[in-house]
Order: sequence, then C-alpha cells, then structure tokens
Amino acid sequence: MFEQDIINKFVTNVGESIQLMQPEVALLITFVLALVFDLIFKKTRSIAGYVAILGFIVTGFLLCTADSANAGGFAQMVAIDPFSNFFKLIILLASLIVVVMSLFSKELYTESRTLGEYYSLIAGMTLAMFLLSSSNNLIMMYLSIEMMSLSSYVLAGYTKEIKRASEASLKYVIYGAISSGIMIYGISLIFGLTGTLNLYEINSFLANADINLWALLVPTLMIIAGIGYKISIVPFHFWTPDVYEGAPVTITALLSVASKAAGFAMLIRFIKVGFVDSMFGGDFWAVLHLDWQHIIALLSVLTMTLGNLVALWQTNVKRLLAYSSIAHAGYMLMGLTVMNDAGVAAVLIYFFVYLFMNLGAFFFVLLIANKTGSEDIEDYQGLGYKAPAISVCMVIFLVSLTGLPPTAGFIGKLYIFTALLQNPDFIWLAVVGVINSVISLAFYVKVFRNMYLRKVDEAKETFKFSIPSIVLMFALAIPTLLFGIYFSPIVNWAEQSVGIFLR
Amino acid sequence: MLTNFGIILLFFIIGFIFVGISIAAASLIRPHKPNPIKNATYECGEVALGSPWIRFNTRFYVIALVFLIFDVEIVLLFPWAVVFKGLGWYAFAAMLVFFFILTLGLVYDWGKGYLDWEKPNPIVPVLSDLIDGKK
Repeated sequence: MFEQDIINKFVTNVGESIQLMQPEVALLITFVLALVFDLIFKKTRSIAGYVAILGFIVTGFLLCTADSANAGGFAQMVAIDPFSNFFKLIILLASLIVVVMSLFSKELYTESRTLGEYYSLIAGMTLAMFLLSSSNNLIMMYLSIEMMSLSSYVLAGYTKEIKRASEASLKYVIYGAISSGIMIYGISLIFGLTGTLNLYEINSFLANADINLWALLVPTLMIIAGIGYKISIVPFHFWTPDVYEGAPVTITALLSVASKAAGFAMLIRFIKVGFVDSMFGGDFWAVLHLDWQHIIALLSVLTMTLGNLVALWQTNVKRLLAYSSIAHAGYMLMGLTVMNDAGVAAVLIYFFVYLFMNLGAFFFVLLIANKTGSEDIEDYQGLGYKAPAISVCMVIFLVSLTGLPPTAGFIGKLYIFTALLQNPDFIWLAVVGVINSVISLAFYVKVFRNMYLRKVDEAKETFKFSIPSIVLMFALAIPTLLFGIYFSPIVNWAEQSVGIFLR
Repeated sequence: MLTNFGIILLFFIIGFIFVGISIAAASLIRPHKPNPIKNATYECGEVALGSPWIRFNTRFYVIALVFLIFDVEIVLLFPWAVVFKGLGWYAFAAMLVFFFILTLGLVYDWGKGYLDWEKPNPIVPVLSDLIDGKK
C-alpha cells in the first residue's frame, strides 16, 4: 500500500535522525532528570545543578565522539555538520561554566528559593540553542528561537523579588515578542515569495528565479531583525543593557555568550545556505540577489561604534559589559562581511576566545557582588589589593576583551582583521574596527584603574574566596592567556569547522 | 433530497427548536425569585461591570498552562491514533516517551505545590487588641 510506504519511510527517517542527534537526546534526558531529581531530593537545593553538570559532560562526550557526520535529519529540518558541532560545543561549554558559576552565586541562593527550575531551564535552553545552531528550515529556526527565548525570559527574571530583575524580564518578553512577531512575518513573506521554508529549496529557487529585489529585501531584513535581537546588533540592541543589568549575573553571562553563539550560527547558516550560489566553488561566496556584504558591514559598523561609545559612560559593570558585548557582536559581524570561509573561521575563533574571556569577566563580577553586594565601578576601588588573585585574572580578561597581545582576544581580532584585509573593498571596515578597539581600551582601563590605581585607606581587609571558585576563575583565565600564545589547534579546528552541510 | 446547505439549515432549525423547548420547559418548572446579582450577566465569576484593570490571581495562569499542555497533547494524539496501526511499536514507544514527559510536568507541578490554591488567610481583628489600641 502506498500510504504504508510513506509511513515506513517516515519512521525510518525519524529513527536515523535520532541516531544523528544523540547529544540533543542526552540534553533532553538531562532536562527531565534534573526535574525528577529535584522532585525526589527536596533537601539538596543544588541537586538539579549537579545533574545538569553531569548531563552536560555526557553530552560533550557524545558530541566529541560523534563521527564527523555531514547529514540532514528529520526531513532536512536540521543539519548535523562540523559547523553546527563547533557551535554546539561552544554553547555547551558556556552552559556548563554558567551552571558551575551558579553554584557560587549568593544572589541565587537566597532563602526560600527553589533552584530546580533554574538548572533545568538552563538545560532546556541549551537544547534549544543546539537545535537553533543546526536548524535548516525557517520554521525549525523560529521554533528553536522561541524555545530559547521562553527559557531566557524566565531565567532573566529568576530573582523575582529583586525589582530590576522583574523589570528586565518584562522588557525582555515585550521586545522579544515584537522581534519574533516581525521575524515570523518575514518568514511568511519568504514563504509567499518562494513557496518553501527549507533553506536549500529557497536557495535553488533564488538561483533560478527573477525576483523583485525589494520584495526579497523586506522579508530578509525582517528575519535579520529577529536574529539581530538575539545577538544584539545595533538597531535591535536596546533591550540588552537593561536585561543584562537586571538579570542574575550568571544568566547575563549565559545570554552574552551562549545565546549569542546560537544566533550567530543561525545567521551564518541563513545567509550561506539560503543566499550563496552553491554552484560557485571558490573561496569567496557569490551571493544571490541581495548585497549582503554591505548590509552586514553597515550593521557591523553601527553595532561596534555604538556599543563602544555608550560603554564609555557606564558606571555599572554589568551594564558596561553589556555594551561591550554589543561591541563584540559588531567585531564578529566584521568577519561575516567578507563572505568567505576565512571570515567564518575567524568568527568561530573569535567565539571560542570570547567564551572564556567574557564568562571570566562575569564570574569576577559575580564573586565581587557576593562580597560587596554592588556592581558599581566606584565600588571596585582597591580590589586589586583586597582580592589579589582573582583581580589578576580580571586584568587578563580585560586585556583580552580589549584585544591586546599576549591574550587570546588579540588572536581573535587578528584573524578577523586578516580575513577583512584579504578583500581590498573592506579595508575601511578594518580601520573602523581598529579605531573601535582603541575606544574600547578607554572603558576597560576605567575598570582596571578603579581596581589598582585608586588606593583606598582601608585596603587592609582582604576578601576570602572559596578554593573551587578560585579554581574556576583560573580555569577561565589560563585558556585566555594560553590561547594567546599557542593558538594553532583552535585555528585548525575552526578552519575544519566552517563546512556547512550543503545538499 | 436536501442539498448540503439544506442539512445545515435543518440543523439551525432543530437547534432553535431544541433551545426554545428547553427554555420554555425551564421557565415552567423553575422557581421565580429574581435578585440583582442573579440577573447580572454571568462572566465566569468576575464582576461584569467596572474597570477591567483589576488584579487577579496569577494561579489562573498556572492552571491555564497545565490545561493547555494537555490540550495540545490531544491535538497530537489524534493524528497518531489515526495511523497507529501502520506505525507499529516504534510509534507506540515514541508516544509513551511523549506521555512520560508531559505527565512528569504535571507531577512536577503537583509535587511542588503549584496546583494548590492558596486559601486567603485574612487577619481577623481581635476585640481585645482593638480595645488596647494596638491596631
């Protein structure tokens, strides 16, 4: 019977796809187990956190041991390829570090708060980001973005008795709802235009069809707006400072690294699979119809310039790091501007580096907030003497965020600028990027100056930190230094990971 | 013979007659004791007149969400049940996993006490306190 054949084929396809998606299945089990353990062991408040850590380690193991598959699953809804695996590993590392960070957070561990939901939501959000980084279909992409957003709305307002956290959560929901509304409208227009939601089919349609440029530009810009909210690029960034300031530090760290990585993965895949002429085999991508290069270049210049200039005036460290993360999104967009594999590899390298330095900076903010209850730059006076060990780490992170040698941040920027300079049309963009790095030095130094150069009288008292927290701090600081000196493994790995599954 | 729209018309007519008979029968049988509250429009227990900007218990949403989850479950169950024979054990196992996760959600809500409706706990003034002028 004909119908039976279709059903059998479908069942086989689902079975094969699940085989491919073992890490995702592991994450799902982690999520469920975290809930179950939280229900059973009510006394141990961090039990869900331990389950999440264990589950993330298993997921990481599955992710690393998976043979470098290059295939589409679930009827081409998702793609398992080296590119998505790279981003999945970044997301997983970020989530793992954030969960470990959360165990030290005083802000979260107040009395009368259950943390089961907190850790399981992080696991669920990680699953959504995994799906986002490998989704091949606009609906899949939209659903994963929604799943990710819904978890992050709740997490941003998790400390609900703190007024600014609730405010952050509410603002995030409203902006997020508008952005996803705009995005789904763009998706529906694309569907009306091309008759398909699959990125490959959109590509082959665009390659053959004669399309009105404006009719294509409007929906794609709407989709870019939706993704742009998630990665906070400039015309769509305005939620970032408020949410980053209000949310618990751990969640701010997660939003600034993991959800940004997932958004970038989606953006790159959307442009490369959807709009690059796959017939063209060279190093540079030939883009169909739209002038993506100048769209991205414009967004990039706006993003990094605004991020850096506004950061100069911030007095709250979390807010400062929020603007700094906007600026970093701008730097990473520069890598995408050149539209070639070297540029994407540079973005991947940058993300790997950004993971350590940004999480490290946020961890420092968390530890200091634990002791002083403040996130103000003014209150960082004399910290270099009160908390010498972790302050040294913070200096490494700040230097790395600025992009100075011998730290990993320099390597990230170096590869982005190298990729840009290959294309003589975009030397101006590299110049803008360098000027921006110089501006960023000003506000990173402001933090440094408060920590070391403004000595206060009562500097005698010192802060004591638990051994595990110092170990984690060094675990973040050492790679930041190490990858600034010995970086060829990451570069090789990133260059192997630019391969997006092309049907 | 009736056309398709003819059948719909028939439904309309029967519907009107059915409702008419019920109302007529009810008005004959029921006791007639109107009061203003009884005559007010029924709005699920809310006061029908006044500003809509009132505060109501957020627990409504929790119950609504739990309901919605199982609503969606039904939607997904229908197509599954239709083709169940052809799908075999594989689909059965898949549906069991789906059930398990959904049920776990309910158990979690239950175990954490999110389904308990917190009873209002008014502070009843005690006469002796009032006399002493404490409050």
